[in-house]
Amino acid sequence: MITVTELHKQFRRAAPKEGPFKGLRSLFSRDYQVKEAVCGISFQIEPGEFVGYIGPNGAGKSTTIKMLSGILHPTSGEVRIFDRSPHQERRLVTKRLGVLFGQRTQLWWDLPTRDSYDILAAMYGMDAAKKRTRLGQLRELLALDEFLDTPVRQLSLGQRMRADIAAALLHDPDILFLDEPTIGLDVIAKRNIRQFLKDINLNLGKTIMLTTHDMDDIEQLCSRVIVINHGRLGFDGTIDDLRRRIGLPTIIRVTYNKAESMEHEVPAPLRCHSRAGRTLTVECNREQLSAMEALRLLEQFGELEDVHMEEPNFEDIIHRVY
Amino acid sequence: MKWIHMYALLVRASIRSRMQYKFNFWFSSIMAAIINVVEFLMLAVILLKFGHIKGWSLAEAGYLYAVLSLSKALYRMFASDVHHLEKYLVTGSLDSLLLRPVPVLLALMSQNFSIKFGELIQGIAILAFSMGTMMQTGQITWTALPLTVIVILSGSVLLFAIGLLTATAGFWITRIEELQNITEDAARTAAQYPMSIYPKWLQGLLISVIPVGFANYMPSLYILRHEAGIWLVGLSILVALALFTIALRAWKIGLARYQSTGS
Repeated sequence: MITVTELHKQFRRAAPKEGPFKGLRSLFSRDYQVKEAVCGISFQIEPGEFVGYIGPNGAGKSTTIKMLSGILHPTSGEVRIFDRSPHQERRLVTKRLGVLFGQRTQLWWDLPTRDSYDILAAMYGMDAAKKRTRLGQLRELLALDEFLDTPVRQLSLGQRMRADIAAALLHDPDILFLDEPTIGLDVIAKRNIRQFLKDINLNLGKTIMLTTHDMDDIEQLCSRVIVINHGRLGFDGTIDDLRRRIGLPTIIRVTYNKAESMEHEVPAPLRCHSRAGRTLTVECNREQLSAMEALRLLEQFGELEDVHMEEPNFEDIIHRVY
Repeated sequence: MKWIHMYALLVRASIRSRMQYKFNFWFSSIMAAIINVVEFLMLAVILLKFGHIKGWSLAEAGYLYAVLSLSKALYRMFASDVHHLEKYLVTGSLDSLLLRPVPVLLALMSQNFSIKFGELIQGIAILAFSMGTMMQTGQITWTALPLTVIVILSGSVLLFAIGLLTATAGFWITRIEELQNITEDAARTAAQYPMSIYPKWLQGLLISVIPVGFANYMPSLYILRHEAGIWLVGLSILVALALFTIALRAWKIGLARYQSTGS
């Protein structure tokens, strides 16, 4: 459905000069610094996938999304969506894309929200009946009614994001590119939007690619993660693959009934993390040892009073990949 | 047809947006009209004092002025934000136009639409006065009327083409305000007056490099003065269409170089 091959994007800017008259010299200079924003990225996305596209600030996420949606032309490499190029056949491809930039609204700032939908419907060539049914569905799903007649500039961030998502979905696109759809939202708004995205992916089969800095978005939504850093592909696979690849240990904390039980070495392959009173904390690599086996190993030194297990935090995993 | 409909729809949205700020809407419309009146009054004072400029009478100079300002009013009315492309390049707001299945130029043209009441009324008034005077003296006949309409339309296409070419340069150099000062404002201001007042090199410049002379002066040589032949009008249309075609090609190439902004 989406095929990206060896995608490159370079931005050129005049090279800054050092020394006397640097301002003047840079005016006449023809030296350029080339910044590789995206550097040789290839991937394929199949229908119905929910892909998280993550990476630190400036990694090239937005640049990629903009190339996929036909806004930016790649320096080299190719994008094919429905086997068409979003650059050569921009109008045909954009008709079937829904794109959201969380940082910037796509709606008509000074007009009532409802008007934006009227204009968009006309742009995508929807007839009145189709628009009415579509908008009817979205109004219900995203609770748009409370602000349909309010000018966009007066909406709260949460309302605006809902309005923008509805705008991206109005023409019933098969593919959604969402650039930070939960940025700046409160916990409840985030949860609602996640639930909504999950629904349209599972029930309507929409293919979604989303960038975010919120790892909960990724963990709860995405069946697949693509990590990009400094414009290069760092990882492409499922979340479990990612966990396994990084191999962050599960933390197991056990409390023994008797203090004597503490007087032993921690058996391999478990590793001792810390000891305090009757509580022993060990690290366990789940690739090597299941949790039950780990507990059985620990039990042989005495009766357990309490067990506590902590899965590695997803954010820590991501830190490792960056 | 589909695109004209689309354009009309976007323009309506644009007008409704602007009407949200009613004071600004009316104030800017009225101010633009006043500026135009003052500009023409200066020309009129000179002409009334000396009777003519290098052989061009008040009526003739008025005709040149009116034709050009009507062309400009049409161009700025129907393609307002082509002149303000720099703003879109610097802020990256061209993104949202590129996202839609609508020609980008069309979407851009529909932004910030405003009706140039002042310039239109003033232009028509001066044109009526000038042509009326010349008809009374028998210098021109009714046949000049349809020709004048054609020249105004062709002139607006020409000004549009020059504006679009200048704006397109922005895809390479980003900041284009100074360039616009020369190719759009200075050149057009120069063409408001009979070109015979300028030295030869400047005349040459205004019909070749920045061919704004074809918007009013060149066709007027035939319409008002019966010099050369009607082919002067044809040539003017041709120049306008040729430049417009070039501008469209350049625009396409430029769009591929659009860099957006970081987010």
